[in-house]
Amino acid sequence: MTRPMRFLIRVGAMASKEVMHIRRDPRTLYMALAMPVVMLLIFGFGVSFDMDRIPLVVLDGDRSVASRSLVRAVSAGHEFVIAADSDEATALRMIRRGQALAGLAIPAGYQRELAAGRDGEIQLIVDGADGVVANQILSKIDGLVRAESLRRIDLAAEPPLQVKVFTLFNPEARSALLMVPGLAVYLLAIAAVLLTALTVSGEWERGSMEQLFASPVGRLEIVLGKLLPYLGLGMLQLLLVVAVGAMIFDVPIRGSATLLFLAGFLFLIGMLGQGLFISVVARNQLVATQAGALSSLLPSLLLSGMLVPIENMPRILQVLSSVVPARYFVHAMRGIMLKGSGLSILWGDLVALAIFALAIIALATARFRRRLA
Amino acid sequence: MSEPSIEAVHLSRRFGSFLAVDDVSFSVARGEIFGYLGANGAGKSTTIRMLCGLLAPTAGEARVAGFDVKTAPEAVKASIGYMSQKFSLYLDLPVCDNIDFFGGAYGLSGPDFAARADEVLRLCDLENEHDAITGSLPGGVRQRLALGCAILHRPAVLFLDEPTAGVDPVSRRLFWRFIRRLARDGTTIFVTTHYLDEAEYCGRIGLMVDGRLVALDTPSALKRRYVPGRVLSVHGRNLAPAAVSLRSRPGIITVEPFGAGLHLQVAAEDWNADSVAQALASAGAQAVEVESGEPTLEDVFLAVVARPREVHAP
Amino acid sequence: MAQAPAAATSGATLGFEPGAALEAQALVRRFGATQALDGLSFTVGRGQLFGLVGADGAGKTTAIRALAGLISLDSGRALVLGRDPAQGRAAVRESLGLMPQQASLYPDLSVGENLRFFARLYCLPRALFHERSSRLLEITRLGPFLDRRADALSGGMYKKLALACALLHRPEVLLLDEPTNGVDPVSRRELWALLHELVHDGMTVLLSTPYMDEAERCHRVGFIHHGRLLLAGEPRALLAGLDDETYEVEGGEREQVDERLANLAEVHAASPAGSTLRIAVARGSGGTVGAALKPLAASLRPVAPNFEDLFLARVRQEAA
Repeated sequence: MTRPMRFLIRVGAMASKEVMHIRRDPRTLYMALAMPVVMLLIFGFGVSFDMDRIPLVVLDGDRSVASRSLVRAVSAGHEFVIAADSDEATALRMIRRGQALAGLAIPAGYQRELAAGRDGEIQLIVDGADGVVANQILSKIDGLVRAESLRRIDLAAEPPLQVKVFTLFNPEARSALLMVPGLAVYLLAIAAVLLTALTVSGEWERGSMEQLFASPVGRLEIVLGKLLPYLGLGMLQLLLVVAVGAMIFDVPIRGSATLLFLAGFLFLIGMLGQGLFISVVARNQLVATQAGALSSLLPSLLLSGMLVPIENMPRILQVLSSVVPARYFVHAMRGIMLKGSGLSILWGDLVALAIFALAIIALATARFRRRLA
Repeated sequence: MSEPSIEAVHLSRRFGSFLAVDDVSFSVARGEIFGYLGANGAGKSTTIRMLCGLLAPTAGEARVAGFDVKTAPEAVKASIGYMSQKFSLYLDLPVCDNIDFFGGAYGLSGPDFAARADEVLRLCDLENEHDAITGSLPGGVRQRLALGCAILHRPAVLFLDEPTAGVDPVSRRLFWRFIRRLARDGTTIFVTTHYLDEAEYCGRIGLMVDGRLVALDTPSALKRRYVPGRVLSVHGRNLAPAAVSLRSRPGIITVEPFGAGLHLQVAAEDWNADSVAQALASAGAQAVEVESGEPTLEDVFLAVVARPREVHAP
Repeated sequence: MAQAPAAATSGATLGFEPGAALEAQALVRRFGATQALDGLSFTVGRGQLFGLVGADGAGKTTAIRALAGLISLDSGRALVLGRDPAQGRAAVRESLGLMPQQASLYPDLSVGENLRFFARLYCLPRALFHERSSRLLEITRLGPFLDRRADALSGGMYKKLALACALLHRPEVLLLDEPTNGVDPVSRRELWALLHELVHDGMTVLLSTPYMDEAERCHRVGFIHHGRLLLAGEPRALLAGLDDETYEVEGGEREQVDERLANLAEVHAASPAGSTLRIAVARGSGGTVGAALKPLAASLRPVAPNFEDLFLARVRQEAA
């Protein structure tokens, strides 16, 4: 029997044994398949940046037809709800108490100014404690007021300058579209690292590693054999997550699905490899779990561009993020799903993912000591 | 004191349809060193659990230290000490802390306990190790500590589970010296073991097979009864085929492989060392040397347990 | 013959002794504060059954792990069939079988699945696997439990399975770490019979055991103490070389007998054995001691020395 054949047989032996372990441990299966889907649903529905029925305090100092028309325009839709029509003191108190998130102040003389052909200034007071909310309110009010002012002008006369905002790829500004690809990467990363972190350290703890090392099986054979079943599981996870995204959150896949799964494949090898590396170094499951959770959670959350744009980060973190595989996969996921980007744009991400995958597997194998002590 | 320290009367235990312990009766006198042997699955551990008050019998009764195991199991537990091979000492604590812990577990404290702790340390020859970290002590010394912890509360009965397996011979002899002293002072010792050398230290031995107590006597009486013939040990070359031919001859009781040679049991009136050597040589064996041996408890065990069995009990 | 291990090895030669299946050459290994191996040396020839006898902590497991290439050594060399088993791509591991002391199989896999896994690990062709596993299942009587999970097996059965897994690939050298620990005497004798059968067919077997009485069942035996060999050689030869005479004291009042014996210089050791007392006395002084005990109504009965006597005598010599 040739060397390569023996290699394959041994990898096959390790892989099929691992499959048997997985099937007999329902917790692993739960973690692999159910958890990401459940988390995606929770995050997707629960964490939404789309705001609705924002409570607004109106300070109408003009009490004119024009001012009332403006207030009606703002409150006509579902975005704002008039919480009160009052004075400044009340407005501030309500905002402080959280009973209102913003105040719209229309000064006396608003109608007169407009009739005279001058600009009508109105003031928006916003609770700036939550920047995301504040920005949303700002842009919504801006849009509504702009629409109202257009309506007031004779529509035949075109305004001299206009900025037509055309939001590519996410015209409704649905935060789900923004969140889901990033979330999917985040959840896959954690699940993958944890799955493999437990497997090798489990063998150390149980004592079966002694028997393995006394046999001719090589370190690479052990690493690959343990990797393969979880790779299959990971691809299944990816499929599930993408399906949930598409069916429940209407997140499309505008680009090539093949490219998506190729990127996912490379990403998973890297993450599983990371877990294996931890597993090889930390010889007990407790340490492996903690190290695995930390090393996958933090980078994927903070450095991948999932939550905070990489361009907004300080230089040092930007550099750091270049070695975080999640960054490339988030970029690729968003590119393929939302923008329909192809290989020509994403080849860099794929190369980066492939490099990380190879490097981590090599590292895990090298660090795998054949000695018990 | 006429009342036996341990008494089992038609003791039985059933698990569903499986009869683990089948009508076992015996009694152990105060201060006796009693050995209890049997194959795995023969019902030994179940019997011991019943005697320790951990499991209720399904039929029959047992009394330990004067208490009924069915009606007063807590009183039983308070009157017995238990020491197992995998002793549950805390290896990262010093000796004195282990003593304190186990004393506390039995509800001992105060100046009386302090005096008792000192006494036990002296008894077990551990005075010099008072502050030593338990894990750093050699196996034989740790085992004496485990014994000390088991006798703090002055139990009437001490259960020992394979106490000296894996211990060096010097420590083993010391250990058994302590045990004999305890026995002389009135503590009943109940030993279970697979290590038959250890079983030789017992005054009387009970043997369990498939839930029943099939033999009960002193080691020498058991040897006389179950290994009645002459015991011979044979060395040489090409013994296996010669042994086969010898087996069927009259007066040959058993022929067992042993190490590289054979152990034989022969009827003393029909065979002796020389005649056996001749018979083997003429059957093709070479360089045959036959020596007289002494029956061992293993021979007894095998005679009682092994021969009729064909199916291995799980 | 009861002397330093010179008889067991060719002394300081660091070359490979032709015909030796296993060689330990001055193995030294320290773990923290414990000197586990302290210059351990011995050789096992092909087709021999070698027993490493010693108490817990004497270095048995460490020695076996060193021979299997599982631990690194501070100094010295361990060789299996003339080669270093610890090397990365060591082909010699194909010829090595190991049965560790602790649980080393997969608890959630069945008997059959465990066997199948190890067969594949050694790249055993399917037909050969079926043939060998049937034979092994028959010998170990595990056939009816083929589908039972390993963690549902009793201690003795688990060990049998571990042994079967180690034998599947018909290793030339088999290392067993305390295979009889905690095993009942019947199963223990079956195991020994099996080992002798394997050795008869050409396998080299090294096993470790804490049971002194098992020394007699080996072709050659080494007594390991504090990481070194105290004694090594053929069991019968070693016993014959014991200087002391051994007797059992019958009759007499225990306390008085103890006291009288304690005062006799010829008595080297005295310890309880069942209801009698077993003593070891200087060679030729049996008569003197017998005479000393007569007034106490005690008499001496000669008994054959055992390995515990041997061990204790040697330890005494070392201490002196």
